[in-house]
Amino acid sequence: MARALWSGSLSFGLVNVPVQLFTAARDLDYHFNELHEKDKARIEQRRFCSDEDIEVMWEEVARSFDLDGKQVMVTDEELASVQPRKTRTIDIEAFVDLEDVDPIYFDHPYFLVPAGESEGTQRAYRLLVETMSRSGRVALGRFVMRTKEYLAALRVRDGALSLTTMLFHDEVRPTSLVPTGGRTPGKKEVESAVALIEELATDWKPERYEDCYRERLRRVIDDKRKRRKIEAPEPEKQPAPAPDLMAALERTLKNARAGRDIRTQEDGGNGELEELSREELTERAKKEGIRGQTKMSKEELVEALSERD
Amino acid sequence: MARRSIWNGTITFGLVNVPIKLYSATESKTVHFNEVHAKDEARIEHRRICSKEGKEVPYEQVVKGYEVEPDRYVVLEKDEIKAAAGDRGKVVHLIEFVGAGEIDPVFYERTYYVGSRDDAKPYRLLHEALRRTGRAGVGRFTFHDREYLVAVRALDDVLVLHTLRFHDEVVSGDDLEIDAGGKKPSKREVEMADKLVETLYEHFDPESYEDTYREAVLDLIKRKAKGEEIDLTEQEEPDQGDDLAAALEASL
Repeated sequence: MARALWSGSLSFGLVNVPVQLFTAARDLDYHFNELHEKDKARIEQRRFCSDEDIEVMWEEVARSFDLDGKQVMVTDEELASVQPRKTRTIDIEAFVDLEDVDPIYFDHPYFLVPAGESEGTQRAYRLLVETMSRSGRVALGRFVMRTKEYLAALRVRDGALSLTTMLFHDEVRPTSLVPTGGRTPGKKEVESAVALIEELATDWKPERYEDCYRERLRRVIDDKRKRRKIEAPEPEKQPAPAPDLMAALERTLKNARAGRDIRTQEDGGNGELEELSREELTERAKKEGIRGQTKMSKEELVEALSERD
Repeated sequence: MARRSIWNGTITFGLVNVPIKLYSATESKTVHFNEVHAKDEARIEHRRICSKEGKEVPYEQVVKGYEVEPDRYVVLEKDEIKAAAGDRGKVVHLIEFVGAGEIDPVFYERTYYVGSRDDAKPYRLLHEALRRTGRAGVGRFTFHDREYLVAVRALDDVLVLHTLRFHDEVVSGDDLEIDAGGKKPSKREVEMADKLVETLYEHFDPESYEDTYREAVLDLIKRKAKGEEIDLTEQEEPDQGDDLAAALEASL
């Protein structure tokens, strides 16, 4: 298992459970390194004193805060002196309902795992898991990790304690300055839009969504390695607002009920093909049994598919 | 204060097209420090140095390489990396709608506010329909040449767009090695713990949680600026209780 990012104790009333914190998010991105174009050697970021123009070692670096133009140097010891008393403790302050916490507040997910083999620790951890899964509530607490204080929401996920760090209220911007459109839609339009959403309703199944970007980037790297030509797809044009809102809603609802692509303009026509992404077209071509679909351009795919209809 | 949008595009649900702008919904308030040279308090600059030549490299001569095996890189041009962005451009198609409350909190990544670009009806229509159904529209969104999975839902009077983690980016509890053996907590302990949860229950009010550490750091900086001496004694750790039932009882 990965390395613990933090260890300390979870404090629930007077019960303290020694725990370790592990990330619950995996980084699966492809990361690039900076290279010197000429010799393909790795670029290193090094620190230089802007005054003396000489390299500075990490031990000689200090922190400074720009207080209205005045530079104020602060040492690690000084920062440590203002850390909250219970630095190594996650203190449960309250229990709240999950639906009262807007997802906007959630930041990074972690797991809390009991630290050590002691029976008392295991038992206290299980007690918390049991109690919290039964109550269905979220515990709120705070803790300090790497010189920052976090507000955290604790729940049970997959039989373990899950901790999600949260933003503080002043880190969420007010919505008041966001333009929210103009005219109020009519009753019929709203009813039709609600019916459409219900028609397209489905359960949240995260496994259904793959990271296509990651896959495409993998292909780009592979193509480059094999010296194949890399072509960027033509980006889709932004569609203009529908001239007749009610007609657009009815048309979409009809499409959804018929199991057609919801953006189909005409009955049985092929006009919609142009609007699909290359991926979606490739997918269709595969279903239709069109050969060599992965090598075709978007235009070729549209042509091949429209011939099938 | 005029708010600057960070993205312009169109959200569609079926044949209804909603011209929109995106705004950041969150901003970190963490206290950020600059690196300085302790000796002379001069700012530290990060310079790019070629590891082979030991010389500074201007940014124009820097390329991006993906390491395929130790010290072997596939160099990609910016346009080639861009090719992976896909062809959605500036359009977010909401293709299906899930119960907004069904999405587990671990999936949420970043949030943006969705603003309307015109005074027409579609924005309010989408907002009203999402509000009434309590659903979130799922689609894909391309931002800075990278594609994200997103959920769009109604919050108060606005639409919000959340980027979501993909399922394989979320660690499952089954991947943890938690020992399930040993003695179970007793009935009495469970009952007392339940009671404690009830005692501490409250309605969530985000404003009752302030970032006290941030305030303490800012206060420290101000005191330091005035030339005050800082007391360096660190605070103590709490004691570890070992009698579970007694500790619970005392908490109640």
